[in-house]
Amino acid sequence: MTQTTDRNILSLRNVSKRFGGLSVITDVSFDVPAGARMALIGPNGAGKTTIFNLISGFYQPNEGEILLESRAIQGIPSRKRIGLGVARSFQNIRLMPHLSVVENVMLGQQARAGGILDMLKPLSLFGRSAWHREAEQLLADMDLPTYPGEVVATLPYGVRKKIEVVRALAARPKLLLLDEPAAGLNAAETDNLTAFLKRISETGVTLLVVEHDMGLVRRLCDDAVVLNFGRKIYDGPTATVQDNPLVLEAYLGPRHASKDRQGAAHVA
Amino acid sequence: MLLLQQLLNGVMLGSVYVTVAVAFTLTIGVLNFLNFTIPTLFMLSGMGAWALTKWGLPLVHTPPFPWPMALLFAIVVTICASLVVERFTFRYMKTKYGDATEHAIPLVSSLGFLLIIENLMRIGYGTEAQRIAAFDWDNTITVGGLFLRVPQLVSLLLALLLVAGLNWVLKHSRIGRGLRAIAENPDAANILGVDSRRLVPVIFTLTGVLCGLAGILFAINYGEVSPTMGEDIGSKAIAGMVIGGLGSIWGAVLGGLIIGIAEMLTIHFFGADTVQVAVWGLLLIALFVRPQGLLGHHSIGKGKL
Amino acid sequence: MSGYWTGILTILSINVIMAYAIFLPVATGQLNLGGAGFQALGAYTAAFLSAVAGQSAWATIPAAMAVGGVVSMAIAFPLLRTRGVYLVLATFAFAEVVAGAILNTSELGGAMGLSVPEYLDYPVPIIAAILVTLFVFYLMATRFGLTMRACHDDDVVTDLLGVSIRGVRVAAFAIGGALAGLAGALYAHTFSFVEIQSFNASLSIYVLLYVLLGGTQSALGPLFGAAFFTLLPEVLRAVLPQVKGALAGLFGIQGALSPPDESWRFVILGVLTVLMMMYRSEGLITRTLIERLKPGRHPASATVEEASA
Repeated sequence: MTQTTDRNILSLRNVSKRFGGLSVITDVSFDVPAGARMALIGPNGAGKTTIFNLISGFYQPNEGEILLESRAIQGIPSRKRIGLGVARSFQNIRLMPHLSVVENVMLGQQARAGGILDMLKPLSLFGRSAWHREAEQLLADMDLPTYPGEVVATLPYGVRKKIEVVRALAARPKLLLLDEPAAGLNAAETDNLTAFLKRISETGVTLLVVEHDMGLVRRLCDDAVVLNFGRKIYDGPTATVQDNPLVLEAYLGPRHASKDRQGAAHVA
Repeated sequence: MLLLQQLLNGVMLGSVYVTVAVAFTLTIGVLNFLNFTIPTLFMLSGMGAWALTKWGLPLVHTPPFPWPMALLFAIVVTICASLVVERFTFRYMKTKYGDATEHAIPLVSSLGFLLIIENLMRIGYGTEAQRIAAFDWDNTITVGGLFLRVPQLVSLLLALLLVAGLNWVLKHSRIGRGLRAIAENPDAANILGVDSRRLVPVIFTLTGVLCGLAGILFAINYGEVSPTMGEDIGSKAIAGMVIGGLGSIWGAVLGGLIIGIAEMLTIHFFGADTVQVAVWGLLLIALFVRPQGLLGHHSIGKGKL
Repeated sequence: MSGYWTGILTILSINVIMAYAIFLPVATGQLNLGGAGFQALGAYTAAFLSAVAGQSAWATIPAAMAVGGVVSMAIAFPLLRTRGVYLVLATFAFAEVVAGAILNTSELGGAMGLSVPEYLDYPVPIIAAILVTLFVFYLMATRFGLTMRACHDDDVVTDLLGVSIRGVRVAAFAIGGALAGLAGALYAHTFSFVEIQSFNASLSIYVLLYVLLGGTQSALGPLFGAAFFTLLPEVLRAVLPQVKGALAGLFGIQGALSPPDESWRFVILGVLTVLMMMYRSEGLITRTLIERLKPGRHPASATVEEASA
C-alpha cells in the first residue's frame, strides 16, 4: 500500500509533526492516486488541517517525506508549491474581501503568471486582457456569474465557498486540497457542491477532501483515510469505513463501538 | 569629573523619559496599541499646570490656583483627556472585513487626537514657551563636587517609585492579573472571565496618571512649558521603550535611562545637533538587530487583540 | 492665472505625488510613517545638485527619484522584516535619522537650509502630478497592483497562491520612495529653498492621514485625500473669519485671542481622522463604493437567484 508508483500524485511517507512537545501528526503514510477523489476524515483535532498545511508548505514536517509525483517537496517554500500543481481551499473562506470575484480568480492564476512582463501588463485597463477573459470563462464553465459591482465580502457564503474553489482551479492544479468544502452549507447547497466537485474531478484534477459531512464523502469519494489523534487508523474504500472497529471507536468512544453502528454514519 | 556630571545629568534627564516610556509600553504591552496621544497628554499636563497657576479655571473665573493645587488639577485634567481618547480610539479597531492594517486603526485615530489637542493648545495659547513663575527658584545642591538639581532628583525618585508601585500592582492585584492575562492572550482572558472592556479604561487612566505626572515634573524641572514640549520627549520616550523592549515596564525604565545618558554623552562628545541622529539611529539599529528589545518579549506588537 | 491659484496648484500637485508615494506601501499593508524622510532625500538631492554642482532640473529630478528609490529599496529589506507597530516605528525612526543627518551635514546647509537656483514654475509640478496619477492608476490595473492589494488583504493566502510577498512589498516601497524623491525635488525647485525643518514628523503624519482618509483600496483614494486636505485650508481662509466672529459674538469674547488659522486646519484634520476611523475606517473611497458606482457592465449576469446557488 505504501509503495510508490507513478500513478500516485501525492504520497506521505512516515510524516510526523510536533508543536513544542505536542505531537499533532505521528508517522502518517498514505498515497493519493492520480485522478482519485479521496477523503481525509477524522474527529475534531485529529490533524486533518495540519496534514493540509504540511502539504501546502505552511508547516514543515519534523520527520518523513511528502512526495508530489514521486518528488520530495518538503523543502520547497510554500509559495512555489502551487506552481508544482498543489492548490487548496481553506476551512474558513479566505478570499480577498476587497477584490471582486474576477480579481480573486485572476489572483489564482498567479502561479502561471509570475514573470515580470505578466506582472506589468494591465489586466483590465483598455478592455479585458486574456487573463481577465480566461477568469470569466472559468467562472462561466462552473456556472458562476461574475457578480459585477460586488466585492466578494458582500456575497453569500455558499457562493464564496465555490469561488474559493474556482480561484484554486485557476492555477490549473493537478491536486486540489479542499478543507471542509461543505461546512456551513444546507442540504441543497451541498448537493449542488457535490455535483460541482464531481465535474472538477472529471477534468482530471485529483481531489483530496477534508469533510465532516459523511453523506458528501460517500457520494463524492471512493477512498478515505481516517485519522485519530494524529495517527492513521483506516485507509481504504469509503464504502466500508463504517464497519471498521477502530473508526467507530474513534468517533463514538470504546463503549459504543460494537452496538451503535448506525450512529457512526450520523456523527461522522 | 565633567563626564561623571554628564552621566548624572543623563540619568536625571532619563527620568522624565522613563515615565512617558512606561506609559507607552503599558498601552502597547496590554492592548497592542501605539498611543500617539501620550506626548500630547504629557504636554497637556504641563500646559494645564501653567494655565492654572496663571489664570485659574477658565470660564469658571476662579482666581489663579496655588501651584500645588494646579499641579494636582493638571493631572486630573490629563486623566480625563486620556479617558476621552479611549472612548474615541480604542473602542473602534475592526475594519469591516478584516485586513493587514486593521491593528493600525486606533494608532491612526490617536494621531488624529495628537493633531486636535496640540493645535487647540496652539490656538488657545500660541506657540511660544511659557515660564511658570512659581518654579523660578534656585534649587541646586552640590554633592561631592557634582551638581544636583533637587526637582530632578525628586523626579527620578518619584518615577522609580511609581514604576515599582505599578509593577507591584500588575503582579499582585486582581486588576493587574486581569491586565496581564489580556496581554498574554485576550481571547483566553475573555473566556476565563476577565472583562477586557472594563479593564481597558484602567490602562488609559494609568496612562493619564503617568503622563500627567511626567508633565508636571517637566514643568517643575525646567520652569517652562510649551505646546510643542511633547514632541521631543515623546520621541525620546518611544526610542527608550523600543530599546528596552515593547511591553516591558522595567525595559522602559532601562531604555529611558539609556536614552537620557546617550543624549548627554552625545552632546558631550559631538555637540547638541547630533542628538537626533544618535537617538534615532540607536532605535533603528535596535529595531533591526533586536526588535524584542533588551527586556522585551518577541510576540508583542504583531497584531493581536 | 493669479499667483494665489498657481501657488495652491503647486502645493496640491506636490501633495498628490507625496500621497501616492505613501499610498503604494500602504496599499500592500505596510504603514509608512517616514514620508518626510524620503521627501527630504529627494529635495536635498535636487537642491545640492542644482546649487553646488550646477545641474539643470532635467538632471536633478531624475537623480532625486533615483536616490529616493535606491535608498528605500536598500532599507526596505531590513525594514520589511519588521511588522505592525515595529514597522511604523522603524519608518518613523528612519525619517528622523535622515533629518538629523542632513542637519549635521554642512555641505547641505545644515540648519541654514539651501537655496535652489533653478526655479520651476507651476506647470511642471502639475504635469508631474498628472503623470504620476496616471502611472499609479496603470500600476493598480496590472497584475502587480492586484498582488499588492492581495498582500494587504491576506498575506498568508497570497503567499500560498504563489505571490512573492517580500518582492511585492519591497517593490511597492521602492517605487513609493522614488515618488517621494520626485515630490521632494519638485518642492526644492518650486519653493527655491529647502530647510530640514519643513520635513518634520508632522509632514509624515499628515501625508499618511491624507492617504488613509482618502482610502487605500484604490488609486482614487489618495487623490481625493490630498485634494481635500490641500484645498480645505483655502476654504477655511474664506469662511473662518465669519465663523470666528459669530462664535466670538455668541460667547461675548472681545477678540482677545487671535488664533493662527493654520492650526484650525489641523484640528479639523484631526477630528475628521477620529470620526473616519470610527465610522468608515477603510477610508472615503472603498472598492465597494467604486464597484457600485461603475456603470453596470453586464447586469444580466448579476441575477440574484444565483446568489443562493
